[in-house]
Amino acid sequence: MALPIARTLAAATVLLSGCVTQHPQNAEEFRKMAPGAFLVKVETHEINRSMRQIGETFNRRAPECLNMRVRTTSQAPGSYQVIVSLYKPTVVVSGERAELHLQRHHEAGVMRVTKEPEGGYYLMVADAYPVDAKRSRLQIIGPSKGYDVIWRAILGWASGKDLGCPDLTKTG
Amino acid sequence: MSFRARSVAWLLAAGLLAGCSGLKSYPDTAPRNLIVRTEASSGSVLSKTRVSVHIHEVDASCRTTYLGTVQLGDPTVEIGLPQERASYLVFNFHSSSFLGGTSGSINYETLLRPRGGYTYDAVARYRDGIYLVEIRESGARGKPGPELARRGLADCNRRS
Repeated sequence: MALPIARTLAAATVLLSGCVTQHPQNAEEFRKMAPGAFLVKVETHEINRSMRQIGETFNRRAPECLNMRVRTTSQAPGSYQVIVSLYKPTVVVSGERAELHLQRHHEAGVMRVTKEPEGGYYLMVADAYPVDAKRSRLQIIGPSKGYDVIWRAILGWASGKDLGCPDLTKTG
Repeated sequence: MSFRARSVAWLLAAGLLAGCSGLKSYPDTAPRNLIVRTEASSGSVLSKTRVSVHIHEVDASCRTTYLGTVQLGDPTVEIGLPQERASYLVFNFHSSSFLGGTSGSINYETLLRPRGGYTYDAVARYRDGIYLVEIRESGARGKPGPELARRGLADCNRRS
């Protein structure tokens, strides 16, 4: 029988607190610490758009699609779980790269076991680097499971092929 | 239970549920000027996604009053919004799974001030966890214009 979600999360939190002593406090720390960590993956894609175009799309779509408070409920026999998550995107475009950082702060339903940076724990970082005037290399670092909709949305924005927003209730 | 008794019970239950949800049908009396094309696919046979739009009127002080909801269950739905007055549209994508007991809703809100003589073509799309709402204005010749920028309540006193 599956454990109720609240107990599963509590157990996972206790287990993780034994393993994780510190979470990245900024995007640069996330880039260094996340690759190789449990349930984290790094993907690299070549995109047929310039870094500037990708940065413009990130600037247009990220605030609209990711700056959100999301409430999810889960019900199972004997349990009722409500999680309220506040997502915060940040876009930084420089001559070197176009960056999209995504942070998440749980307002309810999840315990914090390590120091949380302002704006929430870093969930994903996507960086677009110029290859030439018309092409870019996109690197995304983020969770390997449960966040497929955000991965697909960021790829869609970068490629310009799909400007839709990810349904953030479908994460986690 | 007879068919008639079952029908009455279903109607009673539906009425109670409609009353409890706080939602009401939008009194769609204005000339139809918003055409919404809806595509919704949850991406799984074990879940479904329903799309609706909640319509609010907006007064001069930018306060909103809920007028009602239109279920976007058909591929194309035509809605009448008051002309030359701002309406606040809240497109709602509600997903629920049949097995896990999980559900979630995500909203896309925007202000729309329909101009007289114009129609507005909207697309509300939900495909496998990615959603998109686009609204375009069509002039007298019916040719859709560029996508209208999303406008929040903070923009309600801006005329464009």
